[in-house]
Amino acid sequence: MAGDILFSVDELSISFGGLVAVDRVSFNLEKGAIFSIIGPNGAGKTTIFNCINGLYKPDSGVITFKGEEITGLAPHRIARKGIARTFQNIELFANMTTMENLMLGRHIHMKTGIWTGATFFRRGSRAAQDEIRHRERVERIIDLLDLQAARNQFVGALPYGTQKLVELGRALALEPELLLLDEPSAGMNSEEKQDLIFWIKDIQDELGMSILLIEHDMKMVMDISDRILAINFGKPIVEGLPEEVQKHPEVLKAYLGEDESFDSAA
Amino acid sequence: MDMKRDYYEDIQLLDSKVLWFWFIMLIAALGVFPFLSPNYYIYMANYMAINVIVTVGLNILVGYTGQISLGHAGFFAIGAYGTVLLMSYLHVPFFLALVAAAFIAAFFGFVLGLPALRLEGPYLAIATLGFGMAITQVIGRWQVFGGRMGMEAPPLTLFGVNLETDFQRYFLIIPVTFFMTWAARNLMKTRVGRAFIAIRDSDIAAETMGVNLTLYKTLSFAVSAFYTGIAGGLFAFLLGFINPSTFNFFLSIYFLAFVIVGGIGSIFGSIMGGVVMTFLLLELDKIQEISFLGIGQMLAAFSERWMTLVGLPNIASIIFGLIIILLVVFEPLGLYGFWIRTKIYWKTWPF
Amino acid sequence: MFLQLIMSGLSFGSLYALIALAMVIIYKTSEVPNFGQGEMAMISTFVAYTLLVTYQYSYAVSFVGALLFAAVLGVFLEFVFLRRAKDPNVLSLILITLGFEMVLYGLASWKWGADQRDLPFPVSDFDTVSLGPAVVSYLNIATLLITLVLMFFLFLFFKYTKVGIAMKATQQNAMAARINGIRTNRILSITWAMSSLIGAVAGILLAPIATLDPNLMLDPLLKGFSSAVLGGMTTLVGAALGGYILGIIENLFGGYVSLEFKSIVAFGIIVLVLCFKPSGLFARHYVRKV
Ligand SMILES: Nc1ncnc2c1ncn2[C@@H]1O[C@H](COP(=O)(O)OP(=O)(O)OP(=O)(O)O)[C@@H](O)[C@H]1O
Ligand SMILES: [Mg+2]
Repeated sequence: MAGDILFSVDELSISFGGLVAVDRVSFNLEKGAIFSIIGPNGAGKTTIFNCINGLYKPDSGVITFKGEEITGLAPHRIARKGIARTFQNIELFANMTTMENLMLGRHIHMKTGIWTGATFFRRGSRAAQDEIRHRERVERIIDLLDLQAARNQFVGALPYGTQKLVELGRALALEPELLLLDEPSAGMNSEEKQDLIFWIKDIQDELGMSILLIEHDMKMVMDISDRILAINFGKPIVEGLPEEVQKHPEVLKAYLGEDESFDSAA
Repeated sequence: MDMKRDYYEDIQLLDSKVLWFWFIMLIAALGVFPFLSPNYYIYMANYMAINVIVTVGLNILVGYTGQISLGHAGFFAIGAYGTVLLMSYLHVPFFLALVAAAFIAAFFGFVLGLPALRLEGPYLAIATLGFGMAITQVIGRWQVFGGRMGMEAPPLTLFGVNLETDFQRYFLIIPVTFFMTWAARNLMKTRVGRAFIAIRDSDIAAETMGVNLTLYKTLSFAVSAFYTGIAGGLFAFLLGFINPSTFNFFLSIYFLAFVIVGGIGSIFGSIMGGVVMTFLLLELDKIQEISFLGIGQMLAAFSERWMTLVGLPNIASIIFGLIIILLVVFEPLGLYGFWIRTKIYWKTWPF
Repeated sequence: MFLQLIMSGLSFGSLYALIALAMVIIYKTSEVPNFGQGEMAMISTFVAYTLLVTYQYSYAVSFVGALLFAAVLGVFLEFVFLRRAKDPNVLSLILITLGFEMVLYGLASWKWGADQRDLPFPVSDFDTVSLGPAVVSYLNIATLLITLVLMFFLFLFFKYTKVGIAMKATQQNAMAARINGIRTNRILSITWAMSSLIGAVAGILLAPIATLDPNLMLDPLLKGFSSAVLGGMTTLVGAALGGYILGIIENLFGGYVSLEFKSIVAFGIIVLVLCFKPSGLFARHYVRKV
């Protein structure tokens, strides 16, 4: 699968005080692929995501998306370019319903401004039409992820697994070309995980999105990734096909401890 | 589910027959009220309506966007002085002057919103507080603004009619309030309002979903200031006279109290907050005159013996303070929370 | 002229510094800027006045009495109201202290009316001494000295006493402190008592140069708060420095530019500083992790 390169990170580094959280990390992501980043706790995975979507400004390195450098852009600009993400520790809008959370995902595609928004008094008004159109699109995502039951509930009150899905749905609503998922299966039971794997494949195949994935569940990572990057202490250890990474001695050592195997870790 | 959902129902205000009924009743009541009631209560209704506008406006900022402001008296002053000055010196017609002054307030709101971008909690509190203080100080010292003596509101004409009485002004103030409240409610249901709420709940998630924090935080300040400016402009004519001491720090806190009492992040709550608190404010001001159970006399006697009689009206401040504290501690959703619970109670009554 | 302005700037700066310290001490443990601080000090000053003038007690008894009252008031407010807040976010905590402010202001205005009174003070504001070209009153000097001594003791307190060290631990990490057997609730009480007491000292020092009425602390509170913010809200040294910086700049502005707008300059500075350094001059900006 030697497609076009959609996204690449080149020699990315960032440090906090004395701590080098990410140290010259590079990788490429092909269009339509699922690329996973693995590494033990504190390895710097989430920090890479934070650099990509603009929450942190990297000390050095270049991030390129669709042939355009996006390093150091503000997060909302990066979202507009077509990159969406989920968070490791859920960052939902707790006092909004599932529907409204997903509608916020439509923010960049919608047009309603202050005046048109404030003055819709009829079904035919522009703001009302805008709302109706985008609610229809969001409804499809709700159907896709089986969130109908949660549709009009405040997300703060939903179970953890459902919240994770709502977050995924919100990112999908943005219709990104690149989706960053930070430990999407954390806190899910095995049945929910099964569904999740299924959906991620769907997202890849049917919505044609490329996915950058951080995940601790090794079975899942090995199952769905096209390529994997392993890092430790911010430094890249190895990058390659799942089979290659899986066998790499340093990965075994750093990530799993010497006497464990992947099956028992999952 | 085969039936296609009607998404307009999700966002329209009056989505049921029952609501339509109450809505029409409300309009009828508002229309009939001034013909049946003594002048003082019309004045009170006007006062309430103005405070409802402020409360709605401040709630957009504090309740919906999650920013604090201790300087809204400043925007109120800009609205009031702006309208009066534009009319008196430049002879701008009333409505134009009112809107222009509100836009000036909005502009100041926008500018104040800029540092507010990077500020949180106490830092934002002090910046807005400083702004409010600076505005009162400037208008209190500059002769253009009438200095400490204040200014008289010019005659208020609208469509060739001179609005001289509270009764006449009622028909200006109430429709404006009505429109602005409804508009605020619509705004909160659509894209911009949703972005405000998103910022309140998680600014990080909001910006990663494409919400421009700079723009929307400053917009929230501007919209909030606009509302407060309109209210200020109307207020100048309600009193007929404005001076700087009206727009002090305490007024900013009172405004916040309206929001808290009504209910953070609720338009309906804002209406309740503005109405109830204005009532309290006006009634507590003449607390000695309460004849009910001889409370007024008792308080007066108590004041003579232990406190001071001149200081008695300050009871308002004590009661307001206590209300704020008790509500924040025991009922953070304010009257709105109360309302919701009663509604649920009645629905399940008598079980 | 310049030196003169600096000297009186220092004197006012001392008062701002005290209020700033009082606010920062509370901010660090309760994470709330205490808007009631000014009125707490004002009421305590009135208590001093009442003891001194109405009941004719000596200076020592009256002032110590007032300071004790301040400490008890601080403990009371924290224990009875602040601690009850169910889900304390910044906004609701700020609102509770604004509530204190209104209640205390209302009580004082009810009790003492709007009459302007003079608080007698053992050191005169009219006897002066020349320091080079500057003329300074004894009261100015006393204010400066008392403030410096108080700060020195605060420093010793946090550095060497058991309670002080426990307080510092609580401020840094309340959870860890509790696990290590520090009774954080008691620490909170002590914090509020100390803070209220320091504020009361500022009030008693201010009243002789200003006039004693319920508005006594309104302006100083805002200036003290500004100083604390200027200094970064979380460092005691920063708060004290902030107070002096503000006092001096304000006085210089009043002397050379415009006396009329002297008060506004404080807020101008704050807004400017915050624009460039959102966490004040002496503190690091905190970035939330996700
Ligand atoms: N804003 C920050 N300030 C200081 N240090 C930070 C910041 N963000 C991350 N770090 C540090 O960078 C290192 C990498 O953190 P990161 O969150 O990227 O780890 P991770 O690989 O995502 O781990 P986990 O599997 O636990 O999620 C950690 O030591 C963390 O403490
Ligand atoms: Mg992580």
